[in-house]
Amino acid sequence: MLKNDLILRSPAEKTIGAENITDGQFGAVLSRAGVGKTGFLVQVALTRLLCDEKVLHISLCDTIEKITIRYNEGYTSLIENIGYVDAQIAERLWGEIQHHKTGITYNESTFNVDKIRDYLNSFKGADLTLPTLMIIDGLDFDTDLSDMLSDLKQLQQDFGLCTWFSMKSHRDEPLNQNGYPVQLEKYDTLFDKAVFLVTEEDKIQAIVLKDGDRTDQKFLLDPATLMPMEE
Amino acid sequence: MIRDLKRVRNIGISAHIDSGKTTLTERILFYTNRIHKINEVRGKDGTGAVMDSMELEKERGITIASAATHCEWDNHSVNIIDTPGHVDFTVEVERSLRVLDGVVLILCSVSGVQSQSITVDQQMKRYQVPCIAFVNKCDRSGANPLKVCKQLRDKLGHNSVMLQLPIGLEDKHEGVIDLVKMKAYYFEGDNGEKMVEAQIPAELQDDADAAREEMLDAVSLFSEELTDAVLEEAEITEEMIMSAVRTGTIAREMTPVFLGSAYKNKAVQPLLNAVISYLPCPLDIQNEAIDLDNNEEAVILESDFDKPAVALAFKLEDGQYGQLTYIRVYQGCVKKGDTLINSRDHKKVKIGRLIRMHSNQTEDVDAVPAGHIGAMFGVDCASGDTFVSPDINYSMIAMHIMDPVISLSITPKDNKAQINMSKALNRFTKEDPTFKTYVDHETGDTIIQGMGELHLEVYVERMKREYSAEVTTGQPRVAYRETITRKAPFNYTHKKQTGGAGQFGRVSGFMEPTEEEFEFVNKVTGGRIPTQYIPACEKGFVGCLVKGPSLEFPVTGIKVTLEDGAYHAVDSSEMAFQSAARGGFLEAYNKAKPVIMEPIMKVVIETPNEFQGACMGLINQRRGIIQGSQEEGVMSVIESQVPLSDMFGFSTILRSATQGKAQFTMEFSSYKQAPLSVAEEIAKTKAEEKAAKNK
Repeated sequence: MLKNDLILRSPAEKTIGAENITDGQFGAVLSRAGVGKTGFLVQVALTRLLCDEKVLHISLCDTIEKITIRYNEGYTSLIENIGYVDAQIAERLWGEIQHHKTGITYNESTFNVDKIRDYLNSFKGADLTLPTLMIIDGLDFDTDLSDMLSDLKQLQQDFGLCTWFSMKSHRDEPLNQNGYPVQLEKYDTLFDKAVFLVTEEDKIQAIVLKDGDRTDQKFLLDPATLMPMEE
Repeated sequence: MIRDLKRVRNIGISAHIDSGKTTLTERILFYTNRIHKINEVRGKDGTGAVMDSMELEKERGITIASAATHCEWDNHSVNIIDTPGHVDFTVEVERSLRVLDGVVLILCSVSGVQSQSITVDQQMKRYQVPCIAFVNKCDRSGANPLKVCKQLRDKLGHNSVMLQLPIGLEDKHEGVIDLVKMKAYYFEGDNGEKMVEAQIPAELQDDADAAREEMLDAVSLFSEELTDAVLEEAEITEEMIMSAVRTGTIAREMTPVFLGSAYKNKAVQPLLNAVISYLPCPLDIQNEAIDLDNNEEAVILESDFDKPAVALAFKLEDGQYGQLTYIRVYQGCVKKGDTLINSRDHKKVKIGRLIRMHSNQTEDVDAVPAGHIGAMFGVDCASGDTFVSPDINYSMIAMHIMDPVISLSITPKDNKAQINMSKALNRFTKEDPTFKTYVDHETGDTIIQGMGELHLEVYVERMKREYSAEVTTGQPRVAYRETITRKAPFNYTHKKQTGGAGQFGRVSGFMEPTEEEFEFVNKVTGGRIPTQYIPACEKGFVGCLVKGPSLEFPVTGIKVTLEDGAYHAVDSSEMAFQSAARGGFLEAYNKAKPVIMEPIMKVVIETPNEFQGACMGLINQRRGIIQGSQEEGVMSVIESQVPLSDMFGFSTILRSATQGKAQFTMEFSSYKQAPLSVAEEIAKTKAEEKAAKNK
């Protein structure tokens, strides 16, 4: 019950739809530095955790401790957004679901897809349920990632998972005619979901750039918690 | 012993395994002229370090028991406890921290903050012990003390401030720059005993200036005088900085960071200077006891030699002259010939012989005054006992001791071994509160319990070596527990009439899960059960917790609420109500859906990056949950939670999977419900054991 309530409060549910998150291949959250890409990705991951699925969070920019803090904060924001939830119940639920998230940090220079493949193979070897969602935070889309993305595509086909990335855009770069930052434009065909976060006065606007036929929908989010705001 | 307590330091040296604690202590003893030759931990001559006095310690290159020693430096008396780094011996660390005033936290300049550093840090927090950090092994490939300083902030939340900069790192590590004195120091001579002061190398001057600026920014928070001097750009004296660092360190609000390489004899002397300058003396620390004659109110102990004595026994050893009891004196003075009272059992003890320890050698003294650490011979007591002068009745607060999680059956090979084994077990259980032993009455086996495989392995080995007690060991067993998952009622009447006085008692109520070990609530009204029988009911329930009804594991997490009952004016007795409670427990227990709880261990593996996937695979195969894996340079650190039952023999498996390049630590985390398949397997094994016994 609480799980469903929390999913309904999620900005990921509001913008993309919780079930829709893994219904595709690559997804991206775009924004300039410091707007809230990682926070939004955490919300995407939390919706899957709340559906009792496993999540693999790979970061090339944060430490494990920081990732853990971000998930704790993300969950707290959802709980607080509901209003009154018995602290013990909330804590017990968090105790149950947080173990379904595995955080891995890699040095950006040494990161490669084979390392993830090794790890996922060990799930198969031990006959364990595989993660359904993989978050990759911190890949530099200003460099040529064609080979890596093609390897990742193969990986997600082999293991039946869906991958969401963070993509950093830059203030001084113009958007293309579809409103896409250049980082997304380069790999347009690989991504079937994309949410662009932009600051709008004292709020954050989440613009759905790609989601099947649903495009250009806009939602306002609280900049501190990323929780959906009333329009 | 020095009576001016401002010139006394009681310090510990703590760190993760293999960070070089014992190596550093060996240098400290050499530079303070306590020893005249440095022996390496795994030295080629096979001598081993002085502080690793146990044969086994020398062989394995690990410290098992904490050794105590003292030395003099710069006209100060320094008592040092070298503590084990392996988590299985954590109780040794806990005991030391309880009686120390300050700690030197050693960190490896390559591996940085490791799992055991985190455990040690938590223990320091628990006992509010101030610390300074020493980033060791700066001569190693991949050394990065600045990264380690940052990790101290990020991982442990310390306000870490570099007070030194390295002059060269890895194989080019030559010395250190002191940011307080703004001088360079090099270490010459065969054993680095000659500390040479020089100008800061020109190429490092800018870095040193910037680092000093940063250090002053951080340190000035602890001194108005220094802040004023910085703001007014007035002259900043060494004393101003040192006084501010000392204030911040003692308040546990900053951790000054020093660096060097103990193995290469670099920068140990400046660290000793820092111990004197920044770690507290006994007068800086407020110690409390509880007054047993005054409602257990807290009393502050004063390091006044003329006040009644208060001393804490923090470690026991069985030596050739009987029991050796290590004490820290907090108030007054413990003198040879004194009569003290053990506040636990109020027994009088006469102090026959007092000594000061230097690893396994002793030095007789006439008195151990407040603020000092010493040892007494021939006093029978337990670890954690408080000794006081006859005119007061104080007790120091007990130390935090964990329950054992693993057990092993041991069988002596012959009669002689049986006698020696008893002697050994008697000594070990007195020395180490986390090591326990009992005889399983059903099988007749002697069972030993401890904190991990290595913990028990070491004791079995010590039995063989020190007591010639050859024993064979059984399979290690996990300390499972049982608990209930739902509320269930009971209404049980115990009635017996077998001639003579009968027995009658009825209890009614319910049991439900709780976070506590056991709770008992009495809601009986109207004298349905007379008040004098209520404790007997509680006793009856408590008695059932020792062994669960079906699987015979200890039962925890049960709250019993007694609501109603009945008694008979003649036939009711305490015995009858205890039996009624037992019946009530059995009636409700199975209805309350009991489950098996298994110990879950926090397992941290440090492995070269190329084996990260393989190591994570090993965890997955063991029902483990990987909480995170982090690449740090060429190494990866994998943190996970794994059931203890799946960890037996893991060290061998890890070695073969990583060509011996990975290491792991394991410590108890929590009890969690075992999955159904595992619970069924345990029940099956238990049933087979029972059947075998009955044959």
